[in-house]
Amino acid sequence: MSQKQIQPEDGILVVRDLIKRYGQKLVLDNVSMAIEEGKTTVIIGPSGCGKTVFMKHLIVLERPDSGEVYYRGRRIDRLSERELVPIRRKFGFCFQMGALFDSITVYENIIFPLRQHYKITDWKAVDEMVKQKLALVGMDGYQHYYPANLSGGQRKRVALARAIALNPEIILYDEPTTGLDPITSDVINELILKLQRELKVTSVVVTHDMRSAYKIADRIVMLHHGRIVADGDAEHIRTHPNAIVQQFIQGKVSEAELEALRLGGTKFPTQFMPEDFE
Amino acid sequence: MIEILGERTIACIEGFGRFGRFSGESFRAMIHTFFHPRSYPLVLNQMNVIGVKSVPVVMATGAFVGMILAIQAYGQLASMGLEERLGVLINIAVVKELGPVLAAVMLAGRVGGALTAELGTMNVTEQIAAVQSFGVSPIRYLVAPRVLACLLLTPLLIIYADLLGILGGFFVSVKQLGINPGAYWNYSAMGVELWDVSTGALKGFFFGGAIALISCYKGFTCREGARGVGEACTEAFVGCFISILALNYVFAVVLSAVYKTFWPLRPLI
Repeated sequence: MSQKQIQPEDGILVVRDLIKRYGQKLVLDNVSMAIEEGKTTVIIGPSGCGKTVFMKHLIVLERPDSGEVYYRGRRIDRLSERELVPIRRKFGFCFQMGALFDSITVYENIIFPLRQHYKITDWKAVDEMVKQKLALVGMDGYQHYYPANLSGGQRKRVALARAIALNPEIILYDEPTTGLDPITSDVINELILKLQRELKVTSVVVTHDMRSAYKIADRIVMLHHGRIVADGDAEHIRTHPNAIVQQFIQGKVSEAELEALRLGGTKFPTQFMPEDFE
Repeated sequence: MIEILGERTIACIEGFGRFGRFSGESFRAMIHTFFHPRSYPLVLNQMNVIGVKSVPVVMATGAFVGMILAIQAYGQLASMGLEERLGVLINIAVVKELGPVLAAVMLAGRVGGALTAELGTMNVTEQIAAVQSFGVSPIRYLVAPRVLACLLLTPLLIIYADLLGILGGFFVSVKQLGINPGAYWNYSAMGVELWDVSTGALKGFFFGGAIALISCYKGFTCREGARGVGEACTEAFVGCFISILALNYVFAVVLSAVYKTFWPLRPLI
């Protein structure tokens, strides 16, 4: 498949020839992708490969150095912040560390997007909505907690409830299961599937949790050094001939890395003792 | 060498440009906030944090300035038999320069540091990006209420500092140094004019704006990690302090020129 042939109308979100640099470092190198409506697209890749940066471009939290981003055929990467407001309302972004506002309660966090865009008159309905969204992530009853009093997993679940508060068309998940216990991870996976099945939400998930990727993905795209190295369904990725893809999905250490570890092990003590500092 | 110098100059100019744009956007957002009563709770909350909670430290600053001036100036004036004019010297110095500048410096430390640390932490933990992702302008939601609160309350805090400076100077002069209170007030009233008090407070408006804008900008552009937040706080305080002093110089030049245009020179002693 030639990436050049992607047209703005090919998906709900389309990215063409995206290039992004931070200083001298090339983070995204000519990435093109069309994201299908109503499907779950999972982006995998090792840490630092540009997954999160790519996802931030989809909602224009980052602007490309060159390349284009389209939402429903309309170019959005050059829109002003004000012009982006109605488009961003269609998105829910679930940040890696939750990014809950820590000076306000869980309840206020969830109504934040609602409060900013609408004048709330029926508070009973809002209470009910918050209850419902929190129940969906298994966090009902925590309305009056502050984020600082929640565990990492609970914060992620609240962040998810906040991301779906405005019933978005597209939900972007940045490593939704990282750092969670296996059961909570599975709850999140089921939730992503449920939202997609019941609400026909388009999901883009950035992860390096392969168990989660296989479970939720309609399509898996692998990024490596800012380039797409594999693109297809779970079976396609499982049987992909590329060595980098196989090494990543099987979680294997490369020979070069093993060598580096061996060398490091002989040169440096792995554990410092108090007498080392005297 | 020349390359490094050039790079730094360009980086510096770029930095000023970015700050200018940030300030412009903040002003637009502030005007929007001012005409939208829905945002008032945010401003009132910031007024409480920035203004109300700063009253004790600003008053203490003012009081000590007045008291120290009395002690320092008394000897010189008394040797010329002019100790009853001590009030003029203390009160002019407090309301024109020391009250506004030291209250602003105190605010730069208390409020500026807190604003940078708060917004910097929000930046590092992606809370600012989260605000943006909901289609809400972070400048409108986070910066405008803070700048507005600083702009409106710094002049009032300066008046508090002036008041306590005057009272502090009075108590030390009268109770400790034994100056006649009637003469003290009489000379003070002749020396200090509404112009002095109001220009002092007017400076506060600009000092407050500078403190809030610099601190918020540093918070928004803070680098990652605890070190990034720490560096941003230091840069914010230094930036605020230098701006206060530079603005004060500009005000001294402009205001004295304006005064000379309308009124003759006023002998104070």
